[in-house]
Amino acid sequence: MYNSSNQPLINLAWHHPHTGQRRMMSAALPVTIGRAADNSIPLDSKFVSAHHVRLEERQGEVFVIDMGSRNSVRLNNNDVSDESVVFHGDQLQIGPFTFSLEIPENSSVLAGPATQLLPTSQIQRVAKMTAHAAVTPVLPHQQPLIRDTGTADFPPAIFRKKIVPVDMLTRIVGEQIEETSYLAIGGGLGSFVWVDHLMVYGVKRQDIVSIGFEPKPYGRYRRLCRNSQIPDHERLRSNSDSCPDNLWGWPGYAVREIWDNTSHGRLGQAARIGWQIFNEPLVQTYTPKAGVVFDSIDQEAARIGWDKIWRHGRVRAVRKTDDGRYVVAYSLIKPDGSTEHKLILAQFVHLAVGYPGVRFLSDLQEYREKTGDFHHVVNAYEKHDEVYDHLEQYGGTVLIRGRGIVASRIIQRIQEARERSGRDIRIIHLMRSPNTEGQKAGLAQRAVDNHWEFQPFNWPKAAWGGDLRKKLENANTKTRAELLDQWGGTTTADRLDWRDMVREGLTAGWYSIYFGTVLDVRPHKKTGQIATKVMQNHGEVALAVADYIVDATGLEAGIEGNALLKDLVTHYDLPRNGKGRLKVTNDFALIDMDNGRGQIYASGISTLGGPFAAVDSFLGLQYAALRSVDNLTAQNAPGLRRLNGLRSLNQWTRWARGVQP
Amino acid sequence: MTPTLRGRWQSRLFLMGTLGFLVTIFFMIVFGSIAPFYLLVLVTVLGFFWDIVYTLIQKWRWDHDWPPAFQLGAGIWEMIVLAALVYGADIIGMAPRPDQFLLHYSAVWLAVFAGSQSLMRLVFPRWRYNGGQWLS
Ligand SMILES: Cc1cc2nc3c(=O)[nH]c(=O)nc-3n(C[C@H](O)[C@H](O)[C@H](O)COP(=O)(O)OP(=O)(O)OC[C@H]3O[C@@H](n4cnc5c(N)ncnc54)[C@H](O)[C@@H]3O)c2cc1C
Repeated sequence: MYNSSNQPLINLAWHHPHTGQRRMMSAALPVTIGRAADNSIPLDSKFVSAHHVRLEERQGEVFVIDMGSRNSVRLNNNDVSDESVVFHGDQLQIGPFTFSLEIPENSSVLAGPATQLLPTSQIQRVAKMTAHAAVTPVLPHQQPLIRDTGTADFPPAIFRKKIVPVDMLTRIVGEQIEETSYLAIGGGLGSFVWVDHLMVYGVKRQDIVSIGFEPKPYGRYRRLCRNSQIPDHERLRSNSDSCPDNLWGWPGYAVREIWDNTSHGRLGQAARIGWQIFNEPLVQTYTPKAGVVFDSIDQEAARIGWDKIWRHGRVRAVRKTDDGRYVVAYSLIKPDGSTEHKLILAQFVHLAVGYPGVRFLSDLQEYREKTGDFHHVVNAYEKHDEVYDHLEQYGGTVLIRGRGIVASRIIQRIQEARERSGRDIRIIHLMRSPNTEGQKAGLAQRAVDNHWEFQPFNWPKAAWGGDLRKKLENANTKTRAELLDQWGGTTTADRLDWRDMVREGLTAGWYSIYFGTVLDVRPHKKTGQIATKVMQNHGEVALAVADYIVDATGLEAGIEGNALLKDLVTHYDLPRNGKGRLKVTNDFALIDMDNGRGQIYASGISTLGGPFAAVDSFLGLQYAALRSVDNLTAQNAPGLRRLNGLRSLNQWTRWARGVQP
Repeated sequence: MTPTLRGRWQSRLFLMGTLGFLVTIFFMIVFGSIAPFYLLVLVTVLGFFWDIVYTLIQKWRWDHDWPPAFQLGAGIWEMIVLAALVYGADIIGMAPRPDQFLLHYSAVWLAVFAGSQSLMRLVFPRWRYNGGQWLS
């Protein structure tokens, strides 16, 4: 990534938000971006601060630094608080602008023997880029170059092979490569649950490593919850016995809540919860408070010594080795924020990297790009608290798209704002079509009220552990996708307070539902609000004018959104399941990634479409962990002993006493 | 819990054979009679039939589940049928005192209910995913 005078280079590509014109620029670092004319890239937009960000190189890594701008800096849809390392292929968002970053490799590498291994697609990309932007002939490489190891790039060029010879790798690196038996990539809830299972089954802490961005296993999850207006004291949509902190699911959160209330003398509250779980789901299903779940995970993390297992880092690539293991390249992020390139060899790998990204409805995405207005058109999963603050101060109208659980919670939040402030706050709920009859499957049918469709959780309960789980497991790839379509769909929890709020809002008139297809979204000239043109189902075109639009349609994004998964899937040409996600066995092992004794497992949303419906849930993460660790036990993987009967009971008593597994 | 038919049978057999049996021995000693044992066997055997009916009912529910309230309802229903057989048809040839019958039946039901909510999960960690099967 250095030019002839050995200055580090970066290529930036972006579209002009108004004209749509594509711009490219190749510049030597450091690069500054902002509204003022003295920036390397001056941008004309009121959503860009005078001096917004600075990109600079430190020890072979490129960093983006927020220059204290009043407007946010976002990297791959995540807020950058201070500064962050950036990688080749990252998307940097500044106001209405989205920059694609390319960090080209040192051109001298072109002459090296490794060039042969370069996939042709990349060579074509070089050609295209040079034609457009007249940059010095540099080679865009998968990952940025590492300077501190002298000759080697990172991940090393040897990572272009399908099978990496360990001897050669050791010679290149020039030192012994660290080894571990078990490696959990992601460090989120999926990784935590898997590690917890390993340890309860007998694996020692020092044989496990987990690499991720967030020190707390629920770090990313809690952020998504908070953004979508589920603060710690709100209740989740989760079963009592879905406990990421407890392999057995007993005592579940309901029993613990009853116990907690009883021991604090709140007998009435305890009885109320007891009555609720006894009657669920006939009256209303019990769900735990978010904060209670986080606290329980903290306790379990302390019990298993998670802080000694977890490392702060970003995994860049995983490769098979010639000795039946895997080599993993990652950037270790040190406490001072600097990074170091590292390799680690692992026998068994677990992949749980969570949601690849937030997805917008295309018309809203277009609106945001065109107008640069990121404040009035928001996604329910991104931080948008200022919307409610503003509503509480001035009142206004919010247009909501989507009718799932998040939409319910957003409406509840707006209702709170109404009550708290007494302002005139209105909701226009835009739905594609009326819904008067619930989904049917076999003999059963889902309930519907005011066009909202209900099921206690996002899949029928029997898909977690009853006949429907077996049915899905036994089905073929195509049928699995069909069954998932039938059981899933957009539903919300059947909460009495939510039903009441919808009814009350409809009667009082502050909540209204419209059906139709969106034709376009644009600024409303007369009022300065946002106008959504809707083709209503009876053929009339209507204009819905609102101060804010909240997109509550979901978090779905293909696995390509995650650079690590994308690299793995393309490098090994892995098969996909009926939902385009990673194809796994019934034990959650990645198909075609087994390597001699070695095995890679996965869990979470990236396995949706496979043997289990609720993969993206606490219980689903637990189920996947149990299946994969059972599978490892059957292969006599190190440290594992079958967990059943008295051994299981014994481990549970250790959990109950809070002593390490 | 969302039991399957096989899961129901296996759990019934296990819980009646362990917790149900312990409770029954206690009452056999206290009442000085073998009747509680016969009742336990009878209720277990009848249960295998009821389980077929319950599994069919589940299919009408969207979630294919079996809420705790249904579990209680089933317990009461099974008791009514059992009482009819014991007192009406004199099926075991020795009808116990009604208060003893009620006490024993309730104790067994409570032990089995509590066991299915807790002990089964602790001893068989795969049980809750397998519709109540503890044998594979
Ligand atoms: C708002 C919301 C509410 C939910 N509520 C519930 C609920 O009530 N009950 C329930 O059961 N489920 C719920 N879920 C679903 C699910 O349980 C959570 O999403 C859960 O966090 C999924 O765990 P995960 O490990 O797959 O992902 P995460 O917990 O997000 O962990 C993945 C981690 O991997 C990291 N990562 C990604 N790429 C790399 C890389 N290359 N190198 C290193 N690290 C990387 C990410 O930064 C992240 O920290 C909810 C989800 C959302 C969004």
